[in-house]
Amino acid sequence: MPTLRINHERCTECRMCYVACRELNLNAVYVALEPLHRLEIDPHKCTYPVCTVCLAYCPAEGSIVEAESGRWVVPPPADVHRWWLKQAIG
Amino acid sequence: MHLLLEQFLEKWVWPTAPGARGAPFRLRITEEKCLKGWEIALQSSLTEIEKGLASGSDDWQRRVALGGYAGEGVQMSIKQMSAQLLSVDLTEQEKYIDLQRMRARQVWDECKHSKLHAEVLMAKGWIKDERELVQNAAAHTQPLPAYFGLSMMFPHIHPLARAAQHYFIEAIACLGIAAYVHLVDDPMVRHEHLSQRDEELMHFMEGKYKIDTYCTTLENQQPVEDTLNFLLHRLRVSL
Repeated sequence: MPTLRINHERCTECRMCYVACRELNLNAVYVALEPLHRLEIDPHKCTYPVCTVCLAYCPAEGSIVEAESGRWVVPPPADVHRWWLKQAIG
Repeated sequence: MHLLLEQFLEKWVWPTAPGARGAPFRLRITEEKCLKGWEIALQSSLTEIEKGLASGSDDWQRRVALGGYAGEGVQMSIKQMSAQLLSVDLTEQEKYIDLQRMRARQVWDECKHSKLHAEVLMAKGWIKDERELVQNAAAHTQPLPAYFGLSMMFPHIHPLARAAQHYFIEAIACLGIAAYVHLVDDPMVRHEHLSQRDEELMHFMEGKYKIDTYCTTLENQQPVEDTLNFLLHRLRVSL
């Protein structure tokens, strides 16, 4: 299974992913204990690709990537994100 | 539908959290209210820019920068702070460190916006320094109502009303930026707009997220509907 990581070259640290992940009580996104207090994703808690909540609300293109391939998943590509609003509602 | 709006919808509007309970409501308000407003606003931006480009002079860039300075600059910051401060009683204000922090961030945020517009005015030789703008009424007056637009002066009637404002208005800001980047080659004007793109999109996402997460009952949906009706009315009146 692929895992996610934050791409600090693109991330604006707005914390939308942190808020959304926390709301679901997954808490996979956390603020790292390092001088810049940047956001990171704990691959052991993150359930991607089952959950894609952080990808749906991230506003910075390319700031979350698949760790293994480096592929940008913001905005979420169709094969990653099964919950397109219109399709989901039918 | 314009290609820029289509792209915006595909990239940022339709992706949704799995199982988001407010999503059916967001789909309805998007289709019934927002799309029409976004189309009108985008077309208006494109027409204005095309008119400016066809004018044969750079004066439209000066007017855009002055309008930007007035709409999201120092004056606006004072209004924002007034609104935030009014939401807490005077005697209570000193107790809340968050309020003080919010004021500091707001000053920084708005001055950063205004700086971008001042930079265009300086780079083009229309002003020597930002201080000159103090004497320029066009840099401090704007036509938005002092309620609920980005120039709001009052506390919000409901916490979710802000979500509607973010969802609808910040999408218009994003589309406006897309219109400038699409049509204008001038590097200063592109920078003036492009550098704000992620921030405006983040505000849009705040609204989208709050509607998806919290607008799950008729009671919670009503303030969003009311706000959208008000904003659409304002859009019709102003264009």
